[in-house]
Amino acid sequence: MKTLIKISWRNIWRNKTRSVVIIVAIVLGLMGGVFGAAMRLALEKQQFEDTIETQISHIQIHHPEFIANPEARFHISDGLEIASDLNKRDDIKVASPRIVFDGMAATANLNAGVRIKGIDTEIEDKTTGLEELIIEGSYLIEEGRIPSIIIGRRLAEKLNTAVGSRMVLTFQDIEGEVINASFRIEGIYSLPSRTFEERKVFVKNTVINEIIGDAKAVSEIAIVINNPDDFRSVASELQNAYPDTRVRHWGDLQPSLYYSLEVLDEALIWILIIVIMAVSFGLLNTILMSILERARELGMLLAIGMKRAKIFSMIVMETTIISLFSGVVGLLMSYGMISILNNTGVPIPGGDGLSELGYASVLYPSLETGFYFQIVVVLVVFAVLASIYPAWKAIRLQPAEAVRQE
Amino acid sequence: MKTVIKTKDLTKIYNSSVAPVKAVNNVSLEFGEGEFTAIVGPSGSGKTTFLNLIGGLDKPTEGQVIIDDTDISNMKESKLFDFRLKNIGFVFQSYNLIPVLTAKENVSFIMLLQNQAKEAMEKRAVEMLEQVGLSDKIDVRPSKLSGGQQQRVAVARALASKPKFVLADEPTANLDTESAFNLLDIMSRLNKEENITLIFSTHDQRVIDRARRIITLVDGAVSKDEAFDR
Ligand SMILES: Nc1ncnc2c1ncn2[C@@H]1O[C@H](COP(=O)(O)OP(=O)(O)O)[C@@H](O)[C@H]1O
Ligand SMILES: [Mg+2]
Repeated sequence: MKTLIKISWRNIWRNKTRSVVIIVAIVLGLMGGVFGAAMRLALEKQQFEDTIETQISHIQIHHPEFIANPEARFHISDGLEIASDLNKRDDIKVASPRIVFDGMAATANLNAGVRIKGIDTEIEDKTTGLEELIIEGSYLIEEGRIPSIIIGRRLAEKLNTAVGSRMVLTFQDIEGEVINASFRIEGIYSLPSRTFEERKVFVKNTVINEIIGDAKAVSEIAIVINNPDDFRSVASELQNAYPDTRVRHWGDLQPSLYYSLEVLDEALIWILIIVIMAVSFGLLNTILMSILERARELGMLLAIGMKRAKIFSMIVMETTIISLFSGVVGLLMSYGMISILNNTGVPIPGGDGLSELGYASVLYPSLETGFYFQIVVVLVVFAVLASIYPAWKAIRLQPAEAVRQE
Repeated sequence: MKTVIKTKDLTKIYNSSVAPVKAVNNVSLEFGEGEFTAIVGPSGSGKTTFLNLIGGLDKPTEGQVIIDDTDISNMKESKLFDFRLKNIGFVFQSYNLIPVLTAKENVSFIMLLQNQAKEAMEKRAVEMLEQVGLSDKIDVRPSKLSGGQQQRVAVARALASKPKFVLADEPTANLDTESAFNLLDIMSRLNKEENITLIFSTHDQRVIDRARRIITLVDGAVSKDEAFDR
């Protein structure tokens, strides 16, 4: 066995150029595959963070009518009690009650449609981290004579306004009557999503509830759960607990993201399997060439009594060693590459377009260590498969023919 | 003298695309223990085919090869591998050695295939390399050896596992005269000292007269079988 490994190892280095070429091909193939997989994973993760964590949360509860008609009158009965019950649950990190409705925002001579969100400032900060998103001015903390409002950077640009200016909101109260209210722009937030920046404005729930004429109205409860993987079970539990409401998890709210994340794990390994299959064909070709060149020598080995099974395993061994060697080198280099890129970040070309859709334009690729081991296993499996044909060719040699000198 | 190899009406017909070729034609011979025999004849006379048949590398079309009372002509392939490994030493015209192994490793390799103990086989390998005059080339790879030296390593390997007999197919074909004589001297000496049965084929007039028995093949049939006392 030891000698077999020794012979295999030395055989690999017999034709140095050829072996180096195939090793470099495998290394580059792996690096490319790993890079692709890591970037894809990073993109999905980024999208998840950008969309779910700062915008949607894991689960949302609404009045069933509210989804089609986002008006103040479609609120959840006993919404505040429900929210405080939810906040006592072990599986829920935080549940943020909001009063939400559509309205119109106007400055001196410009206006725009907006979605007004009345929030509990403290709870909301734990839910979406709104305070951290403020790039100008401050969070909704002090209550002055005129109530405060926080708006997105894009809306500020669109309405040509700034921190400290006035903004008038027009909307329907709890009875459906149209009313106006004046606010002072306290802060401006920024998010990767431009549509979000342009549409969502935040005010204190206490203030806005008073204006619409129902101190306790809650039209939306956004929930962050402790174990993000449990979103389905928690959502269905909540739906059962509050049958008069409509409970939706982030998968219902963002179906395309949901499905792309769903197939992601599988997709990643498939990217690599395709890359590995490609390099395996290269490997097959290399081994086959070396077998054909060594026909005489292999014939001699068969003649002196080396069994076909031993010759077969010698060739499989050569392939295994070459693939393990290049696999380890390739993955070490991939690991180094990913670590560096994870620090520096990778700007995505056309990132502005992504930012329009709500996604970040710089990615930080990373991969779990287990993934690298998976790749080595897949690589070696395919390499061994690729060696079967050349090895089979080798053992089909007839010693009497192979040793004949013509 | 004990008979080691016996052929009975041995015939090999190759079905080539043109016409069937009778490469070995009805050969009945006996080889005794300790013989040093040359199979001679012009190119195409069937020397290689004959050696392949008695070496169990090829199957006869008709007739039998009996080695120490065992008929190998109909032996199953897997059994033949073991049989060759245990009983027959081979020396070919070239490509005898594994290029990635040193002289000692090459000689040991055959004993390794026989599952011999490591220390014993290394000792034997060194001993055999000394016998063929290569004690200074023990750790050298074949590419660093001359053609004659490579053939001597092959002889050392063929004898290392103490086979019943050694077959050498044109061992001197690629060698210059001096190396050819040198190789034959070594083979002759080992034949005597170790009492190893040795059969080699050649059409090389220079080395034929080293043999103590000369069998001449013409068109696959034995035309002469002479013994010499030397
Ligand atoms: N595989 C084969 N198929 C057809 N004819 C063959 C084959 N091998 C050898 N021969 C023929 O058999 C004859 C004997 O060949 P060989 O044993 O190689 O002779 P030698 O070794 O004396 O030169 C030759 O005519 C050769 O052409
Ligand atoms: Mg020949």
